Amino acid sequence: MNILIIEDDEDMASFVSKVLTEAGHVVDTTHRGDMGLTLARAGDFDALVVDRMLPEKDGLTLVREYREGGGGSPALFLSALGEVDHRVEGLKAGGDDYLAKPFAPSELVARVEALGRRQISEAPITSLKAGELEMDLLARKVTRNGHKIDLQPREFRLLEYLMRHAGQVVTRTMLLEKVWDYHFDPQTNVIDVHISRLRGKIDKDFDEALLHTVRGAGYRLQA
Amino acid sequence: MTIRLPTLVRTTTFKLALLHSILFTVFVLGLLVYLYASTVVYVRAEASDSLDAELTELSRAYSQGGLVRLNRSVRERQSVLGSRQFLYLLQDAQGQKIGGGLSTLPPGIPLDGRQKYLFDVDYRRPDGEIVSRPAEGRAVVLADGGIILVAYDVGEFQRIVPRITRVVWTAAPIGLLMSLIGGIVISRSAARRADTLAKTAEGVMAGDLSRRVPVIGSGDEFDRLGEQLNAMLGRIETLMESSRHVGDSIAHDLRSPLTRLRNRLETALAEPMSREMAEDTLGRTLGEVDNVLATFNAILRLSRLEAGQGGPMTRTNISGLAGQLAELFEPACEEAGIEFTANIARSLTVLGEKDLIAQAVSNLLDNAVKYTPEGGKISFKAARERDSKIILEVTDTGPGIPAEERKRVVKRFVRLEASRSEPGSGLGLALVEAVASVHNGQLRLEDGKKRNDGRGLRARLVLPKA
Repeated sequence: MNILIIEDDEDMASFVSKVLTEAGHVVDTTHRGDMGLTLARAGDFDALVVDRMLPEKDGLTLVREYREGGGGSPALFLSALGEVDHRVEGLKAGGDDYLAKPFAPSELVARVEALGRRQISEAPITSLKAGELEMDLLARKVTRNGHKIDLQPREFRLLEYLMRHAGQVVTRTMLLEKVWDYHFDPQTNVIDVHISRLRGKIDKDFDEALLHTVRGAGYRLQA
Repeated sequence: MTIRLPTLVRTTTFKLALLHSILFTVFVLGLLVYLYASTVVYVRAEASDSLDAELTELSRAYSQGGLVRLNRSVRERQSVLGSRQFLYLLQDAQGQKIGGGLSTLPPGIPLDGRQKYLFDVDYRRPDGEIVSRPAEGRAVVLADGGIILVAYDVGEFQRIVPRITRVVWTAAPIGLLMSLIGGIVISRSAARRADTLAKTAEGVMAGDLSRRVPVIGSGDEFDRLGEQLNAMLGRIETLMESSRHVGDSIAHDLRSPLTRLRNRLETALAEPMSREMAEDTLGRTLGEVDNVLATFNAILRLSRLEAGQGGPMTRTNISGLAGQLAELFEPACEEAGIEFTANIARSLTVLGEKDLIAQAVSNLLDNAVKYTPEGGKISFKAARERDSKIILEVTDTGPGIPAEERKRVVKRFVRLEASRSEPGSGLGLALVEAVASVHNGQLRLEDGKKRNDGRGLRARLVLPKA
């Protein structure tokens, strides 16, 4: 992916840049808001990573103006302000995701990659496919190799999210936010248990495991 | 304290009092003018009318019986009316007086009978004294050249005018003075109360946040203003306390892990170590940093809540929220070998912030899962309580909290001795308590289900119904 990082703190910018480069992406960096807007408009980026507090033009204004000018690349806000109302402000300004500092590198990579994928699958789709798994979104049916798999509604949504991001790492926080719509972390390992139940249903009777745990990061459904 | 006059003159109350007294004076003057017009003018007009009638009557008597009859009529009238109302003079063509109470025809009186004429008469009072009085009358020349004059005393009317004028000139300044004095008195008491407000504000600005405006209890504007100011000061005091509390908390709970971190890093730097050891040290250090960050976030969230900066309050479907949480925690309970039951009533709603309530209930469920031993039981209930309240209740069979500790555990960083070894920041219940108070609700801790040696805990989040 081709990613533009707009972050005034140089240490933070080079950290983000290093993390994303190591994950195999091409990265451009700028430290000023106004420069960021110019670059975002001029270049064809797959995703923007924008700090909220920037010199010359703050992140919220930058993304709002970028959207008003017809810019369509997905944007991820990075900010030290992480409360729910800050998040809502960010999404209202036209951001697609919001990540509070400090964050784990794997969390950043997972979220940026999830953004890039969303961009591609913009058209309404009625079915998903990941390896041997097939999901019919209208009939709400899941099959693996033609064998029907019975899922609870929540398990269905969990699998749907994993399938939409098949091949990518998805973190626990992302699942809590996107599948359960919670913006806090329960201390109990609730997500792990849900994943292991889902794994029990989709992988149990098959030789090859599709749902993998990525140590220290999250989960990945094999594409 | 004394108020200097210039201060007094500048006050709004004084200006209003002054304006009021001016308006009052103008009103009194107007009233007097109206009174004068409607009495004096009316009475004069009426007197003039009856004068005309009198002359007509006398003219008729003359035409019926000449001077003799006329004279008799005059005499009759004088005796009947006691010469009070009208004064008469009847004289013949030669200018000799024939009858009537007046002695001579006033000089210069027009004799056409149409114009009224003002003149002075010498009037003999019953005690013999002769007084000069103003009179107004008309004289008519009779057919034989004689003259009849009828007049009335206008002294009364003329005296009323200066009397009214005098009343006005004495009453108006007195009224003005009285309302000014009243204004000053009112103004002074108002100024004194405003001064109390200012004094209190000064005290607060000087750092004494416990100062409050005295409220008399009269329920007037100053009392209401005082009550509002006191409420505001109470709020400010709470906020100040809360921010000082954050400082204390940070010192208390972040300094020690940071110190541990620093020591570990220093030791790592000083000692030569293998790659494996270094990785282990760094891994543990990272874990510690994450804990510090989590605690820090919890403190910030708690402080925002305690400062009243929750999210927007909306109608929140508690049944849905509770169902979702039950579904989220149920597998984790099962995995831990705990029996989990949920009993959720339909269509429960509160006015609140969904994410906060969810986090509060999630904290209660977290605690229950953490402290309930294998083979235990957790029951989760969402229901309506009689008095328009909604309860979210988590009951477990864990060790419970002794009654004397229940007030303490909802404070920040308070952890029971028995649970020190468990992971956690000691902020969970404090957050639930803060969420409850933001929603005008309560957190109640009671004994739960007894099992083995544990007394169990029942944690109840009580919220007002939407």
